[in-house]
Amino acid sequence: MKCLVITLCLLICQLGFAQEDVFDLFEEEQAKEYAFATFKGTQLVNSATNETPGAGVLQYVIAHRFGSFGEDYLYNFLGLDNAQIRMQLDYGITDRLNVGIGRSSVFKVVDSFVKLRTLRQSSGPNPMPVSLTLLSSVNYRGARYTDGVDHLTTDRLSYHHQAIFTRKWNSKLSTLFSPSLVHWNLVPSVEDPNSTYNATLGARYKLTKRMALTGEYSLISNKSYSDGSVFTVPFGVGIDIETGGHVFQFHLSNTRGMSTPYWLSRNSYSALNGGLFLGFNISRVFTLRD
Amino acid sequence: MKFFHLLFISLLLSTAVSAQQFLTREGSLSFDAGSPLEDIMAETKSATAVYDAATGKIGVQVLMTSFNFKRALMQEHFNENYVESVKYPKASFKGFYTDGFAQGELTMHGVTKSVQVPAVLAETKDGMEFKTTFKVNLSEYDVSIPKTVSDKIDPYATITVFCVMKKRP
Repeated sequence: MKCLVITLCLLICQLGFAQEDVFDLFEEEQAKEYAFATFKGTQLVNSATNETPGAGVLQYVIAHRFGSFGEDYLYNFLGLDNAQIRMQLDYGITDRLNVGIGRSSVFKVVDSFVKLRTLRQSSGPNPMPVSLTLLSSVNYRGARYTDGVDHLTTDRLSYHHQAIFTRKWNSKLSTLFSPSLVHWNLVPSVEDPNSTYNATLGARYKLTKRMALTGEYSLISNKSYSDGSVFTVPFGVGIDIETGGHVFQFHLSNTRGMSTPYWLSRNSYSALNGGLFLGFNISRVFTLRD
Repeated sequence: MKFFHLLFISLLLSTAVSAQQFLTREGSLSFDAGSPLEDIMAETKSATAVYDAATGKIGVQVLMTSFNFKRALMQEHFNENYVESVKYPKASFKGFYTDGFAQGELTMHGVTKSVQVPAVLAETKDGMEFKTTFKVNLSEYDVSIPKTVSDKIDPYATITVFCVMKKRP
């Protein structure tokens, strides 16, 4: 009995003494840490990432998709003579809310979008394994119709809603999974679906602190229309290079449209038939409000 | 009876030990590596500071991702490219306080160096106050600064610590 009491007391003493080294208090700290810089840019190749410009930051993106490898690409200087262009301006209202406008030359589409970061990946107490960012856009086709039919303004609209799940596995590897819905107000006939369902898979792998490999691939629900048009799965691979306020993204993809419904749900190029395009996105940020 | 005696003594002993310790998890720590060309400043208000009056041991620890910059992109670059917060999440100082100096080991970006810096440790009505300002040579801690921005970043960052520690119960 006595033995037990003494042991017990010693044990309690030790509990007291265990705290003796004041630096042990450092280890008890369990702070919540949010994942940062899951991706370098606000888009991967074509697909949006979870990233948004910070609060008060204006971002200007200029993107090109050059001519295809199937069309006399040496004569056209690797397609550079036939560039399609997109310009985008977006602004971080808060660190989690981002709005923007853009114009892409394929079908002369003007779009506006809202992006909201909801869940944020974190470690520590109550960890969250993934980040979830929501994105919605409205797209207006400016190109004239050549079918000789009078079209309503609403015929020109298409919508895109996307849930972007991302995870930063470690300092090098981040992945993305984005199910999305594209809705077309106008399709060739009543048999064709107005809404298509898509899922984008993407990843980036950092090679150095300021350079990363990227890739994306999308699954699509609708691969043809009754009028004979055939749609292919879009994919792209690229390199991200970051220099201070700029991010340069160079890539090779089978897409030319740059507003989301067009490249995602109505991409008609096939890499097997030479439908491969060099392209780049360059972003520059301006801090308007500290 | 003897049991309670012993228990009482040991409890007393254990409280006696921890009663000399001071702690805060809300210390402020800022750094400035700016130049006339660019403001590069950040602050955290969640630094941990500890002090053991019996041994003179003093320590400060900070989570790198807790630093707040004015510009989100600068904060991202700081964590991603300069201090590599995923690899090296914490920076710490562990040492002793004696006569106006804190002396010990400063660990940052995975590199540990012995340092001695002038510091003030004084008991105030709010608690045990610890203050110090010193410079660190970033290259000594393997924080590499690309040539293209070397005119914007001061290679000697000024660190300012202000922590008010409470006596531990």
